[in-house]
Amino acid sequence: MKDTVLDILADLTGSDEVKTNLDTELFNSGLLDSMATVQLLLELQTQLGVDVPVSEFERSEWDTPNKIIAKVEELG
Amino acid sequence: MTTNLITQIDSWAVNDPERVAYNFLGQKNTYGELKQYSDALAARIKKLGLSREQPIIVYGGQTFAMIATFLGIVKAGHAYIPVDAHSPLKRLQDIKQIAQPAACVAVNDLPVNDWDIPVITADELDHLFTNSANIVDPVTPADYVAGDDTYYIIFTSGTTGMPKGVQISHDNLQSFTDWMAEDFGINHPMVTLSQPPYSFDLSVMDLYPTLLHGGMLDVLPQETTANFKELFAALPKYQIENWVSTPSFIEMCLLSPDFNEQSNPTIKNILFCGEELTHATAAAVKQRFPKAHVYNTYGPTETTVAVTAVEITNEVLDSYQRLPIGWPKNGTPVVLLNEDNQLVDQGEDGEIVIMGPSVSKGYLNNPEKTNQAFIEVDGKRAYKTGDLGQYDENGQLLYKGRVDFQVKLHGFRIELEEVDQHLTHVAEVAQAITVPRYGANHKVQQLVAYIVPQDKDFAGKERELTQSIKAQLQKNMMSYMMPGRFVFVDAIPLTPNGKLDRKLLMSEVNGK
Repeated sequence: MKDTVLDILADLTGSDEVKTNLDTELFNSGLLDSMATVQLLLELQTQLGVDVPVSEFERSEWDTPNKIIAKVEELG
Repeated sequence: MTTNLITQIDSWAVNDPERVAYNFLGQKNTYGELKQYSDALAARIKKLGLSREQPIIVYGGQTFAMIATFLGIVKAGHAYIPVDAHSPLKRLQDIKQIAQPAACVAVNDLPVNDWDIPVITADELDHLFTNSANIVDPVTPADYVAGDDTYYIIFTSGTTGMPKGVQISHDNLQSFTDWMAEDFGINHPMVTLSQPPYSFDLSVMDLYPTLLHGGMLDVLPQETTANFKELFAALPKYQIENWVSTPSFIEMCLLSPDFNEQSNPTIKNILFCGEELTHATAAAVKQRFPKAHVYNTYGPTETTVAVTAVEITNEVLDSYQRLPIGWPKNGTPVVLLNEDNQLVDQGEDGEIVIMGPSVSKGYLNNPEKTNQAFIEVDGKRAYKTGDLGQYDENGQLLYKGRVDFQVKLHGFRIELEEVDQHLTHVAEVAQAITVPRYGANHKVQQLVAYIVPQDKDFAGKERELTQSIKAQLQKNMMSYMMPGRFVFVDAIPLTPNGKLDRKLLMSEVNGK
């Protein structure tokens, strides 16, 4: 699961940094924007079957690869 | 011909001053306030005794004070230039240098304090609006404003790294709003979503048709849409009838299963503009909102927001895999020309060239770029869009991509050469070229920058280089232009003519 999440992130951000530094701040660094987040959530659904309740989506809880992995574990 | 746009908006204040014009997440402002504030500002500007030939810069975010400021400036007989408060300082300075404005109204605090033109500061403006009830100075713009006078100037990106100011006249805007009323039924008070920043001309599609007909703008500022939780908390509190956005924005909203007709029963019209509407997005929207009228519209800033449209019905979805952009608005010939400026046959690709009442008078203080893009066809003024199109057997216009290296990313128009220019100004960069990476449905997913560093011994330093380059770009470039990926190479391949080979890299990035 972790590798799938990281592959999705690497593909969306076009950067391998997300795989080497799991505490990279995705939003502050400009690696992810709102539109890329849309893609992220769609990929999580397609590839891992994880449905993220977007109305509860708080950006600060999703802003590093580590936090995203934890969230996916929690929701999966 | 004199314009009646301002008097028409003001008439709502005269007849019904308590009518709500602006709803910012529950904080409401009325037509009465809109008239009162804009009258006060117009009187203040007229006292400055400025030359009406020169425009006025408005710097700020998505607030009611911005709208009142736009109208105040137009009432004083000037054109306004909206500059979003999220813009980097360099863009603001470039726009000032090109536009030679008479003054600036800082709705948000300006990031500079040494401008050599009159600046109405945020504090002054606030004071002026707060005390505006006492100002009695009737302003009748129709007395001295001509239809050909410029109403607003919106700056787009330019290939040399310098932006271009598109001048839109009162007549251009009137022609656009007439079309919105006639063909889209926005001819009575409607509640309209107001989401894009005012420096993006898609905002004109929500602001003016709505305010002219006594409607209300339901505002979703950038700060809200950036966080889904806030966005999805705000949406159910609104009763939007007229949805105006880029396809990208509605794709974000579609993430929520609650975004549908049951929980948003007021939505009647859904208008898309600003980027290509994909079949998948349109189909999803039709499925969630089966009763709503969904329109795809097309047009560059240079021809006043949009000039062609088609309603996306289930029949259109069944007939087209790549959706058409529709038929030209009344009185607006849209022709397709080949490289020799000759009309192409039906079924053949040609450059989309637009004529008629929507065509801008050109780029402000830039005759060279104006003469390149604005030409004469059969003795009529025309704008060469740089877009490729084709008329199909039904007479529908199909969009076929760009003739040059311009892309749309999340609705923003980006000249790749402009990004290259910014990159080559960075100290560590010797050569750079930017290419788009495409996702599904011909949509640009991100920009990839290929860079030859000054330091040939860059192996192992890629991360530091990326960070340093990004930090320098952030100072001078709009954030939406930031490449998502940086690739460091020893050399960039060249075309037979010795130019950097963007097409070759594009096929590499996109795996073709």
